[in-house]
Amino acid sequence: MMNKIVLICLFLLQIGQGVAQNRFPKPDFESGYKYPEIHYAVANENLLVTIDILLLVALMGIVAWAVIRKRTRKPIIWVSVISVAYFGFFRHGCVCSIGSIQNISLALVDSTYVLPFSVLLFFILPILFAFLFGRVFCAGVCPFGALQELIHIKSYTLPRTLSIILGMIPWIYLIFALLYAITRTSFIVCHFDPFVGFFRLGGDIGMILFGAVLLVLALFVGRPFCRYICPYGALLSLFSSVSIWKIRLTDKSCINCELCHNACPVDAIRAPYINKVNESRQRGVKRLLNYFVLLPLMILCGAFLMRLISNELSRSHKDVRLYEMVVQHEANPGEALSVELDAFYGQGGDIKELAVKAEKIQADFNFYATIAGILIGLVIGITLIELSVKRTRKLYEIDHAACIACARCFSYCPQYKIGNESGNKPL
Amino acid sequence: MEQKIENMNENKNSPIARRKFLRVLGTAVAGGSVLAISGGLFSKAKGSEVSHYWQIDPQKCTQCGRCETDCVLQVSAVKCIHANKVCGYCDLCGGYYRSNVKELNTAAENLMCPTGAIQRKFVEDPYFEYTIDESLCNGCGKCVKGCSSFGNGSLYLQIKRDLCKDCNECAIATVCPSDAITRVSLDKPYKLKDE
Repeated sequence: MMNKIVLICLFLLQIGQGVAQNRFPKPDFESGYKYPEIHYAVANENLLVTIDILLLVALMGIVAWAVIRKRTRKPIIWVSVISVAYFGFFRHGCVCSIGSIQNISLALVDSTYVLPFSVLLFFILPILFAFLFGRVFCAGVCPFGALQELIHIKSYTLPRTLSIILGMIPWIYLIFALLYAITRTSFIVCHFDPFVGFFRLGGDIGMILFGAVLLVLALFVGRPFCRYICPYGALLSLFSSVSIWKIRLTDKSCINCELCHNACPVDAIRAPYINKVNESRQRGVKRLLNYFVLLPLMILCGAFLMRLISNELSRSHKDVRLYEMVVQHEANPGEALSVELDAFYGQGGDIKELAVKAEKIQADFNFYATIAGILIGLVIGITLIELSVKRTRKLYEIDHAACIACARCFSYCPQYKIGNESGNKPL
Repeated sequence: MEQKIENMNENKNSPIARRKFLRVLGTAVAGGSVLAISGGLFSKAKGSEVSHYWQIDPQKCTQCGRCETDCVLQVSAVKCIHANKVCGYCDLCGGYYRSNVKELNTAAENLMCPTGAIQRKFVEDPYFEYTIDESLCNGCGKCVKGCSSFGNGSLYLQIKRDLCKDCNECAIATVCPSDAITRVSLDKPYKLKDE
């Protein structure tokens, strides 16, 4: 009997829900009233996206031509202006190459994720150009770089130690961005974007303040964002360090005048260095081998630590947080429902399903955070090994990984000027 | 010992040659990976004709009010849309008046919309037509809540394509409690209720 009543009640409830959307019947108008026709504007995005890609290629081409062939800075300033105006203020910086890392990584692990063609091109074209000509994208095609480039007044060099420590941030940021993108938690690169607020003339006040601090820094320190934050710059530096055509200051011999070194805003020109440590070769090799033994230890350490905190990290995922809220609510049901719980129960929340979901996310985090830990250990280890390798340099050399192709150094090189005046055009 | 070092330098295995070799190797690896990544992803990428744009699923929306506060724009790109074909054209409209108002007049304290974006026009007895002034709407969803609890649910929130910046990841979607915001394909650019 009881069961039947419950069943009937449930049945009535269902009818009630079905009707809820149409409590009031459609009115019969007698005055000849007609429903208004409403059309919603749909912009032609395809055209703009095509322009984006064409402009991206054209601007990178101009920069490559300017730094490899002509060795002049003027086109780069114009490219920067165009980039800030178009990609920045007109297109509001979405989607950008920096953010596209996340779409790409998500598309690689999740086959259901739809990767638009334009995003792929935004990701791959700057990498291709970096592989061919160095970081020409960073020079002024990226609106963030261009913005910092245009306001830079004077270069003060940061202490080397600080620069090296800060230089690891982009890698770690990149690793975390991938971790959060792959687990579908959030796109942290887009979330913590310091300059997009300027381009949109409004946004999260915290990020705008952070962007303002970076811009003030950029007045006196070359490219603080590009060097110490940008994860895409880190990725590009891998390709630019082995690029096919490399930027060369002059075809004549360097006279060690130091002018280019002083002109470089990003410390990409390494001063001559005499290695005074008179170490025998065998000892050197042994020392290096020791480091390579130490490296796996650091990797293990990183993997272990990241695995340890992976559950903590997984709580930044919406579903895991929701699951915790639900569990808490089930424990003491008297409390008022939060917005999330309201929505969850409103949709007929299935706790078991949510638990499975949350567990899967936690398992994902366990796995991917371990990999992230391995990579973090690798980054720190390689940075330390690089520090201990001391090579003798006789001349000023460009560090192609750090060079952002701003072309400031060319006009400072006295050898280059002589070449130009006597009519010997470079290349 | 010294002789040994000299020998090493003359040897073709000298550090300089090795560095050069490593650099060539690096170039090859980098070039290979560029090709591999682009090749692998080109097969996965879809053309821009199926590009996806952010839309709210009105069936899932719970009118939590975050659309108003969490959009990257100062005034949210989410607006209230009115499906006339679903509307009951009631005089006592749950989306227009607040509940438990003393008098049914258009004094601001009686109206649901905080910005006065809902306009009401008499059609014929007893029907009234409601329209949304989009320039005033801030996407708070108060009227939507009222309409879906006391009416036909003809008022609903939707992301306006002409206003939306199409962020890589929608800031509202990350805080939406009911996962109502997803990307839809270009051939069906709006999720509308009266279609």
